[in-house]
Amino acid sequence: MVKEKDTLETLAVKNESTGQKVANGILGFFMNVLMLVFSLSCIFPLVWMFYSSLKKKREFNADIIGLPKVPTLDNYIRIMINPDYRIGYSMWNSTRTTILSVLLIIICAFIVGYILARCSFKLNRPLYIMFLMGMLIPVHSLMVPIYIIFSNAHLLNKWYTLLLPYLCFNLPVSLFLVEGYVKGIPTALEEAAAIDGCSFSKSMFSIILPICRPILITVAIINVFGCWNEFSFALILNSQAYQTVPLALKNFTGQFTSDYPKMMAAMLITMAPVVVFYFAFSKQIIKGMVAGAVKG
Amino acid sequence: MKQKIVSVLLSAAMAATLLAGCGSTAATTSEAPAAAEEPAAEEAAPAEEEAPAEEEAAPAAEEEAPAEDASAASSELAYKGEISMMHFSTSEEAEGNGGSDAMRTTIASWDANHPDITLNQEVLANDDYKTQIATYASADELPDVFLLQGMNTISWVNQGLVLDLTDYITGSPYADKYNMDYLVPFTVNDKYYAFPALTGGTCTVVIYDSALWKEAGFDEFPKTWKEVEEAKKYFDEQGIDTLAFGNSGQWQLNSCFVSCLGYQYTGTDWFSNIIAGNGDAAFTDDAFVAALTETQRLFHDTGIFNSDFNAINNEEAREYYIAGDAAAFIGGNWDADYIKANLDEEKYKNTKFAVLPQAEDATKYEKFQNIGLGYGLAINPKVADDPDKLAACIDLVQTLTGPEFADYVGENYALGGFTKADFDLSAFDQYVQDFYNFSYVDNKGCEIYDSYVDSSVWSVLNTEMQEMVNGDKKPADVAADTQKAYEDYLAGK
Amino acid sequence: MLNSIRPKGRVIFGYLVIPVVLFIFTVFVPLVAALFYSFFDWKVGPNKIFNGFDNYVKLINDRTFWASFEHNIFLVLFCIIGQVGIAFILVMIISSKLVKLKGIHRTFGFFPSTISAVCIGFIWTMIYDQRRGILNFILLHMGKINSMKDGPIWLNDPSKVMTLVSIPLVWQYIGYYMVILLSAVASIDTEVLESAELDGASGFDRARYIVLPLIKNTLIVCVTLCVAGNMKAFDNIYVMTAGGPGYSSMVMALYGYKTSFETGYLGYGSCISVAIFVLSLIVIGGSQALLRSAMTDKYDKIEAKLQKKRDKEMREAAKAKYGKGGLR
Repeated sequence: MVKEKDTLETLAVKNESTGQKVANGILGFFMNVLMLVFSLSCIFPLVWMFYSSLKKKREFNADIIGLPKVPTLDNYIRIMINPDYRIGYSMWNSTRTTILSVLLIIICAFIVGYILARCSFKLNRPLYIMFLMGMLIPVHSLMVPIYIIFSNAHLLNKWYTLLLPYLCFNLPVSLFLVEGYVKGIPTALEEAAAIDGCSFSKSMFSIILPICRPILITVAIINVFGCWNEFSFALILNSQAYQTVPLALKNFTGQFTSDYPKMMAAMLITMAPVVVFYFAFSKQIIKGMVAGAVKG
Repeated sequence: MKQKIVSVLLSAAMAATLLAGCGSTAATTSEAPAAAEEPAAEEAAPAEEEAPAEEEAAPAAEEEAPAEDASAASSELAYKGEISMMHFSTSEEAEGNGGSDAMRTTIASWDANHPDITLNQEVLANDDYKTQIATYASADELPDVFLLQGMNTISWVNQGLVLDLTDYITGSPYADKYNMDYLVPFTVNDKYYAFPALTGGTCTVVIYDSALWKEAGFDEFPKTWKEVEEAKKYFDEQGIDTLAFGNSGQWQLNSCFVSCLGYQYTGTDWFSNIIAGNGDAAFTDDAFVAALTETQRLFHDTGIFNSDFNAINNEEAREYYIAGDAAAFIGGNWDADYIKANLDEEKYKNTKFAVLPQAEDATKYEKFQNIGLGYGLAINPKVADDPDKLAACIDLVQTLTGPEFADYVGENYALGGFTKADFDLSAFDQYVQDFYNFSYVDNKGCEIYDSYVDSSVWSVLNTEMQEMVNGDKKPADVAADTQKAYEDYLAGK
Repeated sequence: MLNSIRPKGRVIFGYLVIPVVLFIFTVFVPLVAALFYSFFDWKVGPNKIFNGFDNYVKLINDRTFWASFEHNIFLVLFCIIGQVGIAFILVMIISSKLVKLKGIHRTFGFFPSTISAVCIGFIWTMIYDQRRGILNFILLHMGKINSMKDGPIWLNDPSKVMTLVSIPLVWQYIGYYMVILLSAVASIDTEVLESAELDGASGFDRARYIVLPLIKNTLIVCVTLCVAGNMKAFDNIYVMTAGGPGYSSMVMALYGYKTSFETGYLGYGSCISVAIFVLSLIVIGGSQALLRSAMTDKYDKIEAKLQKKRDKEMREAAKAKYGKGGLR
C-alpha cells in the first residue's frame, strides 16, 4: 500500500515537472519582484536624502521629489565650517560611546542570556521577568526621575555617563535574543564537555560563544545603530562638552526655521560612519549571522 | 554682506573661546582696564557691601557711551571663575534672526572682554532647550543664567527658582532706556524676575502681495473678513489660495491668530483679568467663545485658507506665499524675516503688511497686533551666595539686554528690544521700514497669550483648537476644557 | 535542566551580580522614583506636595489617556501583523532557492532601522504631504484626483491618522525582525528546506511545518519585542503628528511626555509613566500566555482539526453509502 502510494507520487512529480518548472518560474519572478520592490523602498530614503541635500532650501521647498537642477555642496560646506557642530569631537564622543556600549551589551547579554537559558536556580525566573520588565519602561516620560537619580549619584557629565543607560536599556532585548537562541542549541555539546571535565566557564566561552556568533552579531548590529542615533539620554544626561552626533545635528533646527536640505546633509553626515561601516562589512556581517549557525 | 562676514568672524572667535574654555580656564589674559564700574553694584544689592571699593567710578559717562565702549567699560569684575549659561540662539537660529544674531554677538564680545571669567554656554535648539531646562529646574540644578519663558514665570517664581531682579532692573545704568511694558510677563507681585531678552516682534501679521490684491479689486488689504471672503472668489479663479497658514505645530493658531483675533472680541481687560487670575474673566466668557466660533468659521467654513493648514507648519505655509500659491500669509515676525530674505525683487516690492481684518460680530475692534518678548534672562538664586559672582552675572544680563545689544539689532535689523535704541530707520528699504512701523508705530499692541498664565492651559487650548478648526469639536467645549485646565492651574498656584 | 552542566551557586552569582546591579540601578530605581513622585502634586521645580492617590483618580477619569491606550493597542496589533508577520514572509521568500540577490535584500532590508526616528518621521511626512507628497502624486497620475490640491490631507484625517502613522513603523522595523528571524532560520539546516522545496512542498507548507516549529522561541521573542516596543512608541509619532490632529494619534508615552514637559505636571507625568508600565506588563503577560498556548498546542490543534474533518468525511461517506441510518 505505502510503497504503491510513494511510487505514484513520484510519478506524479515527474509528470508535472515541466508544469512545475513554469510554475516555479512564475513564482520565482513574482518573489524576486516583491523582494526588489521592498529593497528599493528601503534604500530610497537614502538616495532621496542624498540628492535633496544637494539642493538649496528654496528649490527643495518648491519641489520635494525632483532631482536638483543645480547640485551644490553648499549645505555640506556650511555644516563643516559651523563652530557649534564640532564635528570631529562629536564623532569621537559618539564612536567611543557606541563601541564601548555595544561591547558591554554583547558581553552582558551573552553571559546573562546563557545563564538564564541553561542554569536552574531559584532566582532564574524572577530575574528573567525582571529583565523582561526592563523593556516596558517608557523612557521619554521618565527623563526627570532618571536625571535626578544620576545627578544624586554624581554620574552626570562624565565620558562614561551614557554607557550605563545604553547598556541597561538595550540589555533586555539583546538578552532575550541570546536566551532564545541558546535554548535552540542542543545540550549535547556541553554535556560532553562536562564529562570531559570542562569547567562551566570554559564551556560557556569556548564552546557556546562561537556557536552564538550569529545572534551576537545580530545583537551588535541592532545596538550599534540604536546607540549611535540615541537622542534623549544624550540630551538630558550630558552637557555639550560630551555631545554626541545626534545632538550636534539638532543645532540645525531653529525655533522658527527649518532648513530641510541642510538638515538632510547633517543627517547624512551623522549617519555616514555607521552606514559606511554597515555597507562595507555587510557581506561579512551577514555571513557571520548565517554561517556560524549550528546544524540540525 | 559685511555683517555676514563680521558674524562669521565673531562665531569663529567664539569657537576659539569655547575650545579654550573646554581645555582649561586659563585663557589669554590681558591687563583689564582699571576703574571700570559694575553697573548694578551701585544702587541696591546687599551683596555689594562686600564688593571691592574700586567700583566707585561714575556711571554717568557710561550711560551715554556707544556700544563699543559699553562692554569695555564694564569689564572689571571682581569675580574670577565660571559662569554657566543656557540659551537657544544656535548658529542656525542666528541666521536671519536679528535677536539671536545680536545675542550671540553680544555674548561673544562680553566673553572676550572678561578673560578672567569662563562663560560655559550650553546652546540648544529651542524645543530641546525647553525639555532640558524643565529637567534642570525639577532637579533644582538650573544654570547660573538662563532664559525664562514668560508663561513659566509665576510657577517658577513660586518654586523659588528665579532670583528677584527688581533692584537690578530699576537700578540699571540703562534703566531710563528700558521699555517697561516688556516686563509685564516677568512680573510677579510687582517684582521683576527677568531682563526681557532677544527682540520684541509682532506675533500676528498679515503679509500680502499688494499687486495681487489690486487685481482682486482691493487697493490695500481688506479691513473686514467679509471682504476677504469676497476676494476668495477671484483668487479661486486664479487657482491660488487667499490666505496661507500652517498649524501642524498646534501653537501657531494660538500665537499667530487667536491671540490677536480674541482682542477684537474681548478687548484688553479680559486678558489682564485672566493673567491676574482674579475670577473676573474666564475662557468660557461669551466674548472668547465668540472669538473661537469665528476662528472655526474662518478656517473650516469659508475656505479662505489653504486646505492643508493643519498638516503643514508655518515654515511650509510661507513657502506658498513666496511661490505665489497664496495671495497672503499670516504669521509672526520670524516669518517676515524669512520671507524678506527669500522673495524675488518684484514680489519684494509689492509685499505689504496688515493687521487681522475685523470680524463682523466683534465689538471691541481696534487695529490689534500682539507683540512682546517671550523670554527673559533670569538668574539662579543660588548665585546670590557669592556676591562677586552675582555682580558678574548681573553685568552679563545687563549687557545682553542693554545698549550694545539694542544698537546691534537696531542698526542691522531695525528691530527693538528691551532697551530702546536710536538708529536711522531711513537707511533701510521700504519693506523693513513698513515692518518697523507696523510693529512699533502704527498699530495697537496687545499681549501674546502664551507669554502668560501657564503652559498647561495653552497645551489644552492649542491641542483642542486643532480639532476645532477641523470641525470636529465645538468652540464651547474647547473653551470649557481650557477653563478647566486654567482652574486647575489657579488651584495649584 | 542538566545536572552535568550545573555550575556552583557562587559562580552564577559572580557572573550575574554586576549586570543585575547596574540594571536595577539604571532601570528600576528611576521607576521606583517615579512611583514615589506619582503621589505628589509636582509642577516643574524642586517643591512637591503629597496628594495621595489624587493623580491616580485623575488618571482613571482621564479620557485622553485611555484613548491613547486604545491607540497603543491598535499599534501593537497592527505592528505584530505588519512587522513580525511580513518579516517572517520575507524571510521565507529570501530563503527560497528561486530568489536572487539575497545579500542585497538582506543588506538593504535592514537599512531603514538604522535611520533615526527623526529622519523616518520626516521622510514619511513628506510622503503624506498633500500638495507635494509622493502619495498624492501617485493618485494624481492614476487619475484618482484632479490636482494635488484636491488630494486627501492624509495626516489631518482623525479616522485614518493612526493607520498612517503605523505604516512607517512597520516599514522601518520589518528589516529589524527580518535580521532576528534570519539568524534563527540560519540555524535550520538549509538542506532540509531545499530538499523540501524539491520535493514539491509549497512555500506555505515549508513555513508552517518546518520553519515555524524550529524558530518558535525566536518568534515568541519577536512578538514580545514588538508588543513592548509599541506599548511605549514615541519618536515617529512625535515627529509626524505630535499626537494630532487634536488627540487623534496620541499614544501613552507621548501623552506622558507632553504632560511632564509641555504642561509641566511632573507628578501626574510620573503617574502616567507608572501606568504605562503596569498596562504594558498586563498586555505583554496576556500576549505571552496566549502565544505559548497557541504555539505548543498547534500540532495537537491541527491534528484534532484534521481528525474532525476526517471523521466528518467518513460520516458523510457512510451517510451516502448507507442512507440516513448511517453506521449505527
